[in-house]
Amino acid sequence: MDKASHLSLILDISPSQWHLSASPSNAFPLSFKTFLSHVLTFLNSHIAAMHENSLAVFGALPGKSVMLYSSTDTAEGADVVAADPNAYRPFKLVDSLVMRNIQRELELLGDPEEEAPIALVGALTKALCYINRITHIPTGAATEDPAVLIDPRILILSVSPDLSSSYIPVMNSIFSAQKYKITIDVCKVFGADTVFLQQAAHLTGGSYIYLERRDALLQYLIMSFLPPPAMRQVIAVPKQDKVDFRAACFCHKDIVDIAFVCSVCLSIFCSPVPVCSTCRTKFPIKTLQRLNASRPSLPPSANGTPRPGARQNTPLATSLR
Amino acid sequence: MDPGSDSDLSLDEGNLTVRGRNKAARAKGIDPTKDKGKGKAKDQGYAWEANYTRSWDTVQEDEGGSLQGAVEELMARGRRRRLLAPAAAIRRTIIRHLILLLDLSASMMDRDMRPTRFDLTLEYAREFVTEWFDQNPLGQVGVVAMRGGIGERIGEMSGNPQDVLKALSERHKLEPTGEPSLQNAIDMARSSMSHLPTHSSREILIIFGSLTTVDPGNIFDTLQSCIKDKIRISLVALAAEMKICRELCDKTGGQFGVAMNEGHFKDLLFELIPPPAQRAVARTTGGGTTNPAADLMMMGFPMRLPDTSPPSLCVCHAEMRTAGFLCPRCMAKICDVPTDCDVCGLMIVSSPHLARSYHHLFPVKPYIAVMTLDNAPKPTSICHACSLPFKVQPAASVTDGMSPLGRYRCPTCSNDFCTDCDVFVHDVVHCCPGCEK
Ligand SMILES: [Zn+2]
Ligand SMILES: [Zn+2]
Ligand SMILES: [Zn+2]
Ligand SMILES: [Zn+2]
Ligand SMILES: [Zn+2]
Ligand SMILES: [Zn+2]
Repeated sequence: MDKASHLSLILDISPSQWHLSASPSNAFPLSFKTFLSHVLTFLNSHIAAMHENSLAVFGALPGKSVMLYSSTDTAEGADVVAADPNAYRPFKLVDSLVMRNIQRELELLGDPEEEAPIALVGALTKALCYINRITHIPTGAATEDPAVLIDPRILILSVSPDLSSSYIPVMNSIFSAQKYKITIDVCKVFGADTVFLQQAAHLTGGSYIYLERRDALLQYLIMSFLPPPAMRQVIAVPKQDKVDFRAACFCHKDIVDIAFVCSVCLSIFCSPVPVCSTCRTKFPIKTLQRLNASRPSLPPSANGTPRPGARQNTPLATSLR
Repeated sequence: MDPGSDSDLSLDEGNLTVRGRNKAARAKGIDPTKDKGKGKAKDQGYAWEANYTRSWDTVQEDEGGSLQGAVEELMARGRRRRLLAPAAAIRRTIIRHLILLLDLSASMMDRDMRPTRFDLTLEYAREFVTEWFDQNPLGQVGVVAMRGGIGERIGEMSGNPQDVLKALSERHKLEPTGEPSLQNAIDMARSSMSHLPTHSSREILIIFGSLTTVDPGNIFDTLQSCIKDKIRISLVALAAEMKICRELCDKTGGQFGVAMNEGHFKDLLFELIPPPAQRAVARTTGGGTTNPAADLMMMGFPMRLPDTSPPSLCVCHAEMRTAGFLCPRCMAKICDVPTDCDVCGLMIVSSPHLARSYHHLFPVKPYIAVMTLDNAPKPTSICHACSLPFKVQPAASVTDGMSPLGRYRCPTCSNDFCTDCDVFVHDVVHCCPGCEK
């Protein structure tokens, strides 16, 4: 517990998804503004929990990812923020810089006809590079005591559906996080479950939580995502209930549950193919005939749709045990 | 024919020259037949004859006593190697399962390999596991120890290198004691591989430092059942060759070797890393793209049930369990993946197992070292990935292939990255933060 922890927060800022989320036809509408006020409170509690805690905030916008705030690079923005005798300065700094930068990015976005896909991969890889930068002991500096090295984690607040074309980069990011012992937590604020982020949380030992009551976002954030990974062995934080291990095929980028795999390079195809498009291996005719005969009669489920009977609702109270 | 002449003269001319050369070699005291195989190991000398050297001894300080130059040289070498590497590196992979059987008997405390056989084995085993998982992404490794006359399960079969490395890093739990028992340990390893699917390989790798084994029964029965289960046993001996050890390897199609010194020990271990398919292909080079091992496999990606789900019967053990995986085709409940579904026969793997190797298929293009900012209209002041500010003043002297400004530009998205991010993106993340692929 004495270790400081680093939190990299990734905000999914998709204007169209947030518009849907705020629509009053939902059971629990949540607007982007309310969402941000919850998130800022959460960030303040992370900073308040320990003086050495560090923080970085990334935004995944349509077709672009940006760093919104980082506790190591505040110098350039610090003078812009007016001193306020009624506010704790670090809180004030985070709040105003994050808000200002989001405002700026949204204005830059303009009003395009069609929304580009969310640059979640960019934000995720930037978060990884940033963690690599701050955990990397600079050459020439005094040998750092391993006890003071931070305990890094990434929290993704997602509202967009899976982007199946980014299957391979997302998986690569997950494996590098796994290698560097970076925990990835995912909170699905709005929309259907995302298969890839479920796997991300599962593989890195983080928790994936689907937000049932969107109006209680802050409650979820504080209860589940505020304790650093080292603490979670002591207090039982809610974990995801199910993990969907489906993959995306290389040919159509569809998410499939039964697929055909090249034994040489392990490329995934949704139907039997005579030649592997990745490594150009030719497959035996006999195999093709056998596989075509034994193919499942059901067509592969469509892009990003949940599996039949997928979600089993676990109320927060029971999953907290 | 003159009976007094050299017997060589009675042979034909071709043979004569060969014999003649042989004689010359023998005159110098070298046996050419033996020289071939062991030359490399002999050069390094036996472990007890060699000096104690470690990698950090080879790093040289510069005049100022700083290591900066040496570190930069290492990084530059890594960059150059990346630029030279083929654009599309494809590896032959099959699904492997390996049990690492470590001798943890008292004989492992011998100091003929430095610091001790035990410490060196743990160190090499960790390196072995890391490298093994990189080359066999679909593989799984378990760890069994032999000490005190029994086999002891140290790490369960796992596809996650971290789990295996964790099991191998808890040194205090692995303290060597007592006598080893090959039979008990092999039986334990065999039982933990019984559930595995038929298409996968089953292998046992034994690192053995003793010259004795304490077995409760006939070890040849164990050998027979290993042959029956198609388990391949390979053994690296640290002490000397034992008849039973060689027989275990020969009968099951594995490899046997006796380590002469630290370097040879590591070579013997690392020879076992490349998947067997790779070796089979290498032997028949020139066969074109038609590779007999290549095939299209039908696989299912399961759904994992949570630990809190209501208990139900699994199809593999017929026991009440809470956690498990659901076969996507028949919805049968299975305890572990990868496996073949017991009901419909579909091969079930979790997709991360496959995805671990994809960075070999789609590598990130090497970044170009930026030499000058003169022809760039508006250079960014911070690294695109980690937001680290770039140096303003170019460094006076740089190693070949390094940027004096510490900037490396992606040829696809034209964003600039710092030195650390260049290395991190290419060696670890395998995904450019600018292009998102
Ligand atoms: Zn497809
Ligand atoms: Zn292929
Ligand atoms: Zn079972
Ligand atoms: Zn089945
Ligand atoms: Zn950087
Ligand atoms: Zn790029």
